[in-house]
Order: sequence, then structure tokens, then C-alpha cells
Amino acid sequence: MQSFLKKAKTSQWYGVGLLLVISVIIWAIFKVAAPATFGAPDKLLSYLQSALIYAVGGCGLYFICVMGLFDFSIGAMLILSELMAIAFIPKLGWLSVIVIPILVGFLLGFCNGIAYIKMHIPSIIVTTGLSLIYESFSVWVADINGTRLDDAYKLFGAYPWNLIVAVLAYLLCWFILKYTKIGTYTNAIGANELVAKNMGVDVDKYKAIAFTLCGTFVGIMSILYLGYGTAQTPQTGMLSQALNFQPLMGTFFGLAFKKYGHPVVSILIGEYIVAMIFAGFVAIGMPTTVNNIVTGATLLAIVTLTTKRVNGAVVK
Amino acid sequence: MAKEIMLHAVGIDKRFGPTHAVDHVSLDFYKGEIHALIGENGSGKSTFTNMLTGIITIGGGTFELDGEKIAPKNQVDANHHGAAVIVQEQGTLDGLTVAENMFLGDEDQFMSKGIKNTAAMYKKAQELLDGYGLAHIKATDPIEHYNFEDRKLVEIVKSTWFKPKVLVVDETTTALSQSGREELFRVMRDVRDDNRTVIFISHDMGEVLEMSDTISILRDGEFIKTVDAKEVDQDGLKTLMVGRKMSEHYYREDYDQSLAGDVAISMKDVSVPGQLENLSLELHKGEILGIGGLSECGMHEVGKALFGASYNRTGEVKLGDGTPIDDINAAIDHSIAYASKDRDNESLLIADTIQDNITLPSLRKMKKPLSPKHEREFAEKYAKQMSVKMVGVSQFVSALSGGNKQKVVLARWLGAESDILVLDSPTRGIDIKVKADIYNLMDEMRKQGKAILVISEEIMELIGMCDRILVMKDHKVAGELERSRDLTENDLISLMV
Repeated sequence: MQSFLKKAKTSQWYGVGLLLVISVIIWAIFKVAAPATFGAPDKLLSYLQSALIYAVGGCGLYFICVMGLFDFSIGAMLILSELMAIAFIPKLGWLSVIVIPILVGFLLGFCNGIAYIKMHIPSIIVTTGLSLIYESFSVWVADINGTRLDDAYKLFGAYPWNLIVAVLAYLLCWFILKYTKIGTYTNAIGANELVAKNMGVDVDKYKAIAFTLCGTFVGIMSILYLGYGTAQTPQTGMLSQALNFQPLMGTFFGLAFKKYGHPVVSILIGEYIVAMIFAGFVAIGMPTTVNNIVTGATLLAIVTLTTKRVNGAVVK
Repeated sequence: MAKEIMLHAVGIDKRFGPTHAVDHVSLDFYKGEIHALIGENGSGKSTFTNMLTGIITIGGGTFELDGEKIAPKNQVDANHHGAAVIVQEQGTLDGLTVAENMFLGDEDQFMSKGIKNTAAMYKKAQELLDGYGLAHIKATDPIEHYNFEDRKLVEIVKSTWFKPKVLVVDETTTALSQSGREELFRVMRDVRDDNRTVIFISHDMGEVLEMSDTISILRDGEFIKTVDAKEVDQDGLKTLMVGRKMSEHYYREDYDQSLAGDVAISMKDVSVPGQLENLSLELHKGEILGIGGLSECGMHEVGKALFGASYNRTGEVKLGDGTPIDDINAAIDHSIAYASKDRDNESLLIADTIQDNITLPSLRKMKKPLSPKHEREFAEKYAKQMSVKMVGVSQFVSALSGGNKQKVVLARWLGAESDILVLDSPTRGIDIKVKADIYNLMDEMRKQGKAILVISEEIMELIGMCDRILVMKDHKVAGELERSRDLTENDLISLMV
């Protein structure tokens, strides 16, 4: 039995299995606490709907966070991408809903990357500064065609199209990580930037690519987010930062389970766990503030429990 | 038949700020030879080869490799020009698989229209590993599944599979066990037999003489001489390295003058999972106690345990008066010093000044508020006492050679007036002149009544310097040997293996 467990722990699918077990445990806890309002099959699909969206953003952030960097502008990018899509609908129709968010995300991500490389200051500061600028743009863009998406364009907010778009995004992320240099190089930069540079990795170039990819995935996320919601109001004064949190949670799961080799799957299951926890607390009638406390604590607990720590090791 | 030149280095030059690390060195390396490059710490050996292999840029001069002038931009570029290096430090990256590490920066051979043929990469990596007799390493595994030694072996494959014209082996042997060394030496001989060239950097003179055909000596960044390995002995090499005749006996020469007094510190039934099993020892004032063994025997954990830096420890560590030592602060408060084997990561603030490194543990004893002038004078006093080769105490430690870094570590504990010194591999990667200085210092401290624990993989160092030697095997003490003229390497080895 012991040797079986030891062998299982070295399996590539151990991490995914562990996450699935955690999902089942969390489902069971809330199902017992709120049998009537939580955890029925239709509810599970509804949690998945939310998880699908945030996991796309989480995939984008993964490229940044695996290098030890952060992008705190994804909330602002999300809002601006959505409002740009709404603004161009009268002229471009469906093209605006599909292409504009990806294009805007791509361009904003590219701007983030270039600014980070040229300014030589920490990514958190660069992206926080830029998020203020993007927020201001979103107020201006909201004046063009309002903040509501016409019901005729809500195709990507529901099954099956949300699932199709999300799965395509996950496959894209998986493909980039496994079958291009980007996956290897972002990992290498995160492990030891100096050694990566000595091995001929153009560190600046791949950091810029990672920011651009992050923006692009946020663009894809905004297609789903726009369809899922009814409207997107512009935010100022760094209020868009609240939208950074949920994609980041999935990314943390991806990073914590990276060693098992399936970050994309881990991001998705992680987002599903978070969605269940949110829904679970709503089901048992807890206020949102308590939800946030428990969700944050759960995230910390899961990452702590699943990360192999060495006593005395330096953690930054 | 006249030997053909493989590498022609002309006027190679490099400065780091005020330090002239390599001073217009011109050297020829021939095909089919193992050419050792030796010299004291800071003599410029690694700087010279780092320029050749793209780790740092060339400051001046030219390298002509097999008739082609090269100026590599990075290691992979150097590989493409036919120059490869195996470094002392860990050169593989966590988060990547074995195969990804092997081909990092060189994935283009598996790329088609921007898409990497991962299966082909893993297949080729596994074939190479199997070919080197390393079938137990799986190309698809994350590299962190393997220990330091296996990761070093992966680096050897990574640096040699493409048959570089010149292979630099830079102080790699210190990181390897005997079997790892034999594997490396086999690879070096293969390169030579294939009419290519090995540049071999090592401080182990025995190893240098055994493996090399030709030996070049650098001193203070300047080329001194090239000699035929068959026509020189260890003493001759030492004299060439240092520039003056070295006394053969730089170890202690006393054998009947034990000064050992009361117990300074003791360990009782100390265990650390996977490292130590029920280990007990006593270290006396005025005594140098040696701990020896094979590298994985657990001896390095003994130093950590004594310094309160062993985090999963059970059992007792206490001073002679019974005061328990359970954490690092207690150790420092009770005048215990510790110099780790991993100098750059565990002993030094590498990106900080000499002054900060020396004053750090003494700040708690200094008068408050702290005076920058007093701190500087304090650092200068002990740096001078240890003869640290530096521009000033405001110089960053990262710019110092290995030997001078170790002197800074010792100056720190000298300044803290430590009574108990735990020195793990105190002369690792250090040239013989600095070694002699450190041995003298240890003997002086012993005579002052300080208690010194030396953990070392160098058997002669233990025999030459210690009053008693505990030999460890499989995380336990396998035997104890007293200081004696008759003690031989075989006495220790028979207990180790």
C-alpha cells in the first residue's frame, strides 16, 4: 500500500487527482450544509460556467506568474476589451464581439510587456500604473455606445458556445506551454533568469511575449465575460483590481500543481473549487464579506498543503 | 607529428571595475590533449574560460577556435561554435524536464514552423542518456526529481553530446562523488581520444597531474608558464602558482600537545530524518575536532545541528554549562560561529558589501545608535587581519574570488569573537596559499582555547589539522581516530566505505 502511494505521488496525474478529491470534499461539505440550494447537477453546471471564464484569464496570467512577475492590469484590460467590443458592435456586429476583445487584449498586453521591459521597474508597479490609464480609457469608450450588450450578442454567455470558446483557449494555452519555446523559456526564466540568459534565452523578448499572451487570454476571457453578464460599467480609482482576484486564484492553483505537469487542468479545477466555495457560502446564507474571508483562507490552505516546503527554506 | 592547435587565445583581457581579472593572456591549446589551467583563487582561470564559453563577454583579445575567430554571446552560441563548459554550480533549472534542460536554448533542431516536436526531443534526450550509461535518468521527468549528482551528470551529457571542439571542465569534480568523478574523467578522456581538447580547471593537484597532458599556470590574471604534466610534481606546481616556494608542511606539526580542556559544546542522541541517526559528540575547548566521511554520509548536517540550523532535529545540543542550543539566535548569542559548505548561498550576503558581511552578527553587540564610521573601522580591522584582497570594505562580495569570500566569512566570526567555530569545508575550492592562511588561523584559535569543529571531505586536511577525527558512515559515527603521526588516509577510508 505504501509503495503504491509512493508511486502514485510521482505520477503526473497525482496533482489532478488530488484536486478532484478536494473538489468532491468541498462539494460534499456544502451539500450537507445546504442540501436544497447547493450542489444539484444544474447548479454544478452553473458553477462550471463561472469557472470556465476565470480559468481562461488564469491561463493568461500563468505565463506571467510562472516567471515570478505579476500583471495587476487584467481587470482594467477586461473592462476596456468589453467596452470596446460594445462600442464597435454597431459597425462590425459579430466581428466586434469576437475579434475586438482579443485584439484589444493583445495590444494592451503588448503595451504592458514593452512598458515593463523599457522601464526596468517591477511588474506590479508598471501594470498597476497602466491599469489606471486603461480604466480612464474605459470611461471614454463607454460613452461611444453605452455599457450594455444587446441580447442578440449573448451567444458566448451560455452553453455550448462558452464551453467551446473556453476549451479552445485551454487547448491553445496547453499547446503553447508544451509545443513552443514559450512554455520552456517562461519556466526557465522563472527558475533562474541568469542561467536562462546564459543559455541564449532572450529574456526580454519572452517576457514581452508572456505579457502579450496574458492580454490575449484576457481578451478571450472578456468575450465570455461579456456574454455572461448583462453590462460592463467602466471603473476608475483602481476598482478594476477586484477583477484580478479570481483569475489569479486559478493561476495559483496552476503554479502550485505545476510540478505534476498539468497546469491548465489545475487552473480549471482550481477555479471550479473557488466557484463552488463562493456558491456554497451563498447557499448557506453567509454575507459576501465572510465569503471573501473564507475563500482567501481556503486558497492559502490549499496552496500551503499542496506545496512541499522545506523547514528553514527561504520563501520570498 | 606536430601537434595541431585547437584554440589560439591572443591577448585575452578582462576587467571588473578596478580588478584586472585577466591581463592580456595568450595561450595555445592543442588537439588531443587535456590541458589543465591552474592558479590561486582570483588568478583568472574561470574568467578566461567564461569568456571562451559565452558566460561573460570578452573584454579584449581574440579566441580562434579551430581556425575560426569566435566571440560567443552566450553559452548556446559558444556551443554552436564548438566550445562547451561544465560549471561547478548547478546548471540545470527546476520546472523543466530533463530533456528540456538538455536542449535549453537549442530547441531549434526540434522546431518546425514554430512548433516543437516534443516527442522527438524526449526520444533524442533518452537515447543520449542511455548512450552515456545513464538509463536510470528519464528524459521526461522533471529535473527536480533527481539529486545534485544526477543533475550534474545531465549537465555533462548536455555539454558533450554534440562533440564540442573544446570542453571546459571548471571545478566540477568537487561537486561529484567518486563514481561521478570517474564518469566525468571517462568523458574527458573520450574527448581527448577523439582529437578534441579539454580545458581542465581544478585545485586538486593530484587530480590535475593524473588527468592532464599539459598544465598552464595563471597568477593574478597573468599567464605564467605552460609545462608538460610529466615533467612536474605537486610541489613544483604549487611554487609556480604562488610565485614562491611553499612549505610542504602547511598543516599542524605538533602531535603530542593536546590543549583540549573542558567541554565547549556537545550533542546527545541527535537525529535528523535522512541525515543523522542518534549522533553524540563532545567538542572541547582548545581542540580541533574533525568530521569526515563520504559526501552523503550526513556530516554536513552535524554543523547545522550545532548551529541550531537543523530544522527537524531531535536530541540535545548544549553548551558545556548545559545551555541548550536550539536555534540560530541562541547559537550566535552564545558565541558559536558557522561557515557553511555552500558559501555563496548560506554564508555570504553575496549582493552586499564586505563591510555588511563582516559586521552583520556583531551589530547586536555594537553601541547604539550604530555609527557608520565605527562599522567601517570594525570591518576594515578584521578584513585586514584576514588579508582579504580587496579595493575597500565597500566593495561587493560578489566581485571577490572564492578564497577571499571565505576570508570574509572567517573575518566575520573573528570580529564576533566566537569561541566555538563550526567550519564546514573551510578550504573548499580554495587555493593552497589561502588554505595555508586558514590553517594557521585555525591553529592560532586552538591555542587561544577556542573550540573548532571542521567538517571536511579532504582527508589530508583532517589528518593534518585535527586532534580527533570522527568518521561518519550512513548518517552515524563509524569510528573515532586520535591525532597521530601514524594516521594514514587508509585508516579513514576503511571507516568511510
